[in-house]
Amino acid sequence: MRALVLILAAVVLLPFIVRPAIASEIWIFAIFGLGLNLLLGYTGLLSFGQSTFFGSAAYVAGYLLKHYAIGVFAALGIGVAVGAISALLVGYLCVQRSGLYFIMLTFALNQLFYFIAYQWTTVTGGEDGMPGVPRPAMLGIDFRDPVAYYIFVSVLFLLSLWLMKRIVDSPLGKILQGIRENEVRAEAVGYHVPRFKLLAFVIGGAFSGLAGVLYAMLFGIVPLEAIGFVTSGNVVFATLIGGSGSLYGPIIGSFVFIWLSESMSVVWARWPLLLGVAFIVVVLFFRGGVVEAWDRIWRFSKRTT
Amino acid sequence: MALLETHDLSKAFGALTAVNAVSLRVEAGTLHSIIGPNGAGKTTLFNLLTGTFPPSAGRIVFDGSDITGTPAHRIAHLGLARSFQRTNVFPAFSLLDNVWLAAFACSKSWRGLLWRRADRYPEATAQARAALADVGLGEKADQPAREISHGEQRQLELAIALAAAPRVLLLDEPAAGLSPEETRRMVALVRALKGRYTIVLIEHKMDIIMNVSDRISVMHFGSLIAEGTPEEIQRNAEVRRAYLGGVAA
Ligand SMILES: Nc1ncnc2c1ncn2[C@@H]1O[C@H](COP(=O)(O)OP(=O)(O)O)[C@@H](O)[C@H]1O
Ligand SMILES: [Mg+2]
Repeated sequence: MRALVLILAAVVLLPFIVRPAIASEIWIFAIFGLGLNLLLGYTGLLSFGQSTFFGSAAYVAGYLLKHYAIGVFAALGIGVAVGAISALLVGYLCVQRSGLYFIMLTFALNQLFYFIAYQWTTVTGGEDGMPGVPRPAMLGIDFRDPVAYYIFVSVLFLLSLWLMKRIVDSPLGKILQGIRENEVRAEAVGYHVPRFKLLAFVIGGAFSGLAGVLYAMLFGIVPLEAIGFVTSGNVVFATLIGGSGSLYGPIIGSFVFIWLSESMSVVWARWPLLLGVAFIVVVLFFRGGVVEAWDRIWRFSKRTT
Repeated sequence: MALLETHDLSKAFGALTAVNAVSLRVEAGTLHSIIGPNGAGKTTLFNLLTGTFPPSAGRIVFDGSDITGTPAHRIAHLGLARSFQRTNVFPAFSLLDNVWLAAFACSKSWRGLLWRRADRYPEATAQARAALADVGLGEKADQPAREISHGEQRQLELAIALAAAPRVLLLDEPAAGLSPEETRRMVALVRALKGRYTIVLIEHKMDIIMNVSDRISVMHFGSLIAEGTPEEIQRNAEVRRAYLGGVAA
């Protein structure tokens, strides 16, 4: 409940603190993180290829928006579908592996998608990216207005958060956590573990796809890096910094990550160093990320007063 | 009537035949123990029965149908539930969630799998609580599994198997690593379950199972070397030799 109030307050206040475009990016990246964390935090699967789904959705929906003038909702639907389907393909190949092989395979398949995007210049624009993605008006609302688009993104973010909360509180959420805790026992009590991992992939892919389309419409372009390993790494990074053990971790992580990268990149070209430091602090002291750090400080301060 | 049978069941790991042409008949409603020294192949036999890996040869028949080669995740749904020799629980979960996961897996319907709250399944929750109560852990339902004692983890191990409401319980050394006092409690627990379930009990300490078993099969180097009532087994010279050999080795 407290978390919800905080998030609502953040949604309302954020555009007054940073530019609406940055504020939108934070919630879009948070949707992306929510999808990853179903795999990373809940199922215990470190997917290092989430930009496959994010980027594929951005390209497909972006292309259709640009050349076929589809509506906003159609674009969102297509993005979600492309994210889910690409995750089904990738997941199918990955869920049978475990440990390092699993991570490497998600990475390798991500590279494969990247090179397709890199080579297929007639559609994707290759290194130059795919510019000219429009933000069509809907129900008389002009989404070219950054504030209107921010509100649209915020609503979709809140909807995504609500959906993800339903999922993690459902039996599926318990089963995925059970798989994280003990795969052998989960199988023995009657769950087809690879099938459930695949389901986690598909749901995570759908969230990534939604984030991908919103991203393409936000910047009006699908840059090649949207499907590159840096994007995959960033979302893992942000989620770990925020705290993968909590539903809200990726949201805080997105906040920290986007805010740092936007505010620091203009003052200091080596700003990723800061992220590196933040990451080391998390790994060494706060395995649960910002969420855990906050929790500890909160409890400590209550004890001392 | 035999509820669970194996016919010449074998499993080889390379040159080692861990289970060698084992033919077993477990009668419905009985407690059937399998004893044998460490390394005799008892756990491997359970792994075959529960689909951890397929047998090299032979068949498994459960309730009249051939279930050879059924994958592990289907076995619980057929009504066979196992406990593990090495405690194999969900450490970060509360005890209730540990058993709930097993109860839900075998519940009649998975409706609402993706959207209904997990605590809105009264049947699975009731079954899970009953399983915890059966092993005497009802009071600790909300504690995380990693924080309870080894003895209690062994009880939890049993509760997870019970929560599936199985027809056959396969218990792999439930008293492994327990003190004499805890062992007595565990034996009493198993005795209390007798009659409610068909039970196959693995044990390597003979004295524990003599009083609770209806029938005993003796395994040695992968093969069954004797079968009978506890009295018959106690008198059997070959069994004594295997056991003395096993202890001396
Ligand atoms: N997965 C496996 N791979 C190779 N050898 C195994 C495997 N499982 C068991 N064994 C071997 O099979 C033999 C029987 O082991 P096990 O069934 O655990 O005996 P028990 O439970 O009677 O003590 C042992 O020699 C053991 O090393
Ligand atoms: Mg054993």
